Amino acid sequence: MNDRIVFEDVSKFYGEILGVNRVNLSIPPGVTSLVGPNGSGKTTLMNLMTGLVHPTRGRIHILGLQPNEPEKLFKILGYSTQFDSFPKGLTGFQFVSSFLRVAGIDSQTAEQLAWRAIERVNLVDAAQRNVAGYSKGMRQRIRLAQALCRNPRVLVLDEPLNGLDPLARAEMIALFRAVATDGCYVIISSHILHEVDAISDQVVLLSNGYVVAEGKIHDVRGEIREHPAQILIRCDRPRDLAARMMGSENTIEVRIHNDERGLLVKTRDADRFYLALNHIALNGIEIESVAPADDDVNSVYEYLIGNDNDNNEVLQ
Amino acid sequence: MTELWWAQIKSVVRLELRKTLFTRRGLWIYVLALLPLLLFSVHAVVVSHDRDRSSQLAARSQKHLTYQDLLAIKPDMTRQEVIDRLGNPPVRFHWRGQRPIKSGTFTNTFNEAYRYSDGTNDLFIDLSDDKVTGVHIRGGFNVSEDSIVFAGVFQFFYLRLAIFFGCLGIFMNLFRGEILDKSLHFYFLAPIRREVLMVGKFLAGVLATCIIFVTSELLQIFVFTQQLSPNVRDIYLYQNHGLEQAAAYLGITALACLGYGAFFLAAGMLFRNPILPAAVILIWESMNPFLPALLKKFSVIYYLKSLCPVEIPTPMGTPALLSLLVSNPDPVSAPVAILGIVIVAMLVLYVSSFQVRRMEINYTSE
Repeated sequence: MNDRIVFEDVSKFYGEILGVNRVNLSIPPGVTSLVGPNGSGKTTLMNLMTGLVHPTRGRIHILGLQPNEPEKLFKILGYSTQFDSFPKGLTGFQFVSSFLRVAGIDSQTAEQLAWRAIERVNLVDAAQRNVAGYSKGMRQRIRLAQALCRNPRVLVLDEPLNGLDPLARAEMIALFRAVATDGCYVIISSHILHEVDAISDQVVLLSNGYVVAEGKIHDVRGEIREHPAQILIRCDRPRDLAARMMGSENTIEVRIHNDERGLLVKTRDADRFYLALNHIALNGIEIESVAPADDDVNSVYEYLIGNDNDNNEVLQ
Repeated sequence: MTELWWAQIKSVVRLELRKTLFTRRGLWIYVLALLPLLLFSVHAVVVSHDRDRSSQLAARSQKHLTYQDLLAIKPDMTRQEVIDRLGNPPVRFHWRGQRPIKSGTFTNTFNEAYRYSDGTNDLFIDLSDDKVTGVHIRGGFNVSEDSIVFAGVFQFFYLRLAIFFGCLGIFMNLFRGEILDKSLHFYFLAPIRREVLMVGKFLAGVLATCIIFVTSELLQIFVFTQQLSPNVRDIYLYQNHGLEQAAAYLGITALACLGYGAFFLAAGMLFRNPILPAAVILIWESMNPFLPALLKKFSVIYYLKSLCPVEIPTPMGTPALLSLLVSNPDPVSAPVAILGIVIVAMLVLYVSSFQVRRMEINYTSE
């Protein structure tokens, strides 16, 4: 429990409105993405994790600490919220350094830590300007600096890439990956699925307050048996290969790729299909590459949640 | 640990003070605090002007007059008796008029108005056909009377309205204002005990209200004493307990900020709409004279009234309800009153500490 972020049967109701229900999670180090449509409970989970809201039922442990002990928790945890408001009249630098001073850190150290965090988010030039005059992207970055300034072991980031330009997005993604590589826990909520794919070691899929799936993306995809696995094969003679594939008992559907240089195969048993493919490949067809076509967050999200928020298909 | 808490409290106080003292939203609090100062300043100007005029009048008199000389003039005295006693008037008006003697018939009269002064008090005499028909003395500046007026303004405006509503505006906003601004999470995401945060905010509120209201009170006392002539001021300050009274007013102001502050801080955490708790506290404080002895003690005004240095007299015929408001039939000693306010404030803060730990950030429901 001391090396995981654990949710034990956690529910949160706002009056009669469901926030999240019966959440059981055990989050290891690395980047974990919370994925789900608006209102699925991503922010509620993050707020529960950081003690900004209290669970109606259940218990939460952050590396052995409880969220209702902010004096201990926030020594190891930094949270960049989605709340886009700041104490009035502060510059970006003052915002971060004041936060550190409130933590009880002396003035000199607070200034050093604040500058280091501001450098990490590339906001040095604007640091002495009033936050009220910042663009959305700059406000996002100064919030990230606030979350990062104490070099926390757990970094909770609610939609951290919102408002950032493509270059800044790439920089931030690299930053999150670097933090995770150091053995830290990075929890990110996002609805931009291809970015989640690029960042995450594992995902938690949420829908209507329920955890629909959790784990490594590949494992989650493997558990979805209702949807056949899609495999993209690049080869020199796709039509010949397609004809042979149709004879295989593991093949459900074969489609020639638009560029006529490959084919998309649907199969119920990917492992057996790969074995069969080895035999087929021996018969003179030159195969360039074989790769899963739907082993990503986007597909997993589509299968489990789809466009319809009412779809509450739960993995068994 | 204590050192860490102290460092955290200082940071919170620094941030909150800046926010509280320099906000446009709080301008009305400055206006409220400075209203009595404006009143006393205007009064000081008027008193100074009157004193100059009375001095000039006295200088122009034939004789050096005393207050006893002015009091000696009574209706029905003759014109000559007045002049024998007071000399020729420095200011004199005369006009002819008519006086009814029977229904429909009038007789002509010769009317005069004289004005004398002893340098402080002015005497106005009306004469008709060489006989005094009316006498009126307008007293000059009177320290004891004015100190009662000062006490009245302090008790009924400054303490019960200005400080009360000023504390409401400042302390309620310490938490409620940040919830409305959606910025409270700034503090809630820091590694600081919520109770320590609450104490920091409370101290910031006490400091801010003290800076505003104690400074205003100090200026009011300064203006009040500056209007006295130097010798009268010395007598008032050093022989008639003026200094002690000034210290008491400043102390009461600070204690009021502490007491009301605790209540409004708690209300700001417990209630979304500040109007309701403010009204309840205002009614509770106003009802204090009519409450049973035990309940009286759970009120700030009960202790503050006991500390007020000047008792406001109730003239004969004052309605019983008003008399109760003015008088303090069951005062407590100064140490008990001071301790009482501190204990009440601490009790309220102790109860609030449970609430602050339970507080959630849920801006959308506000």
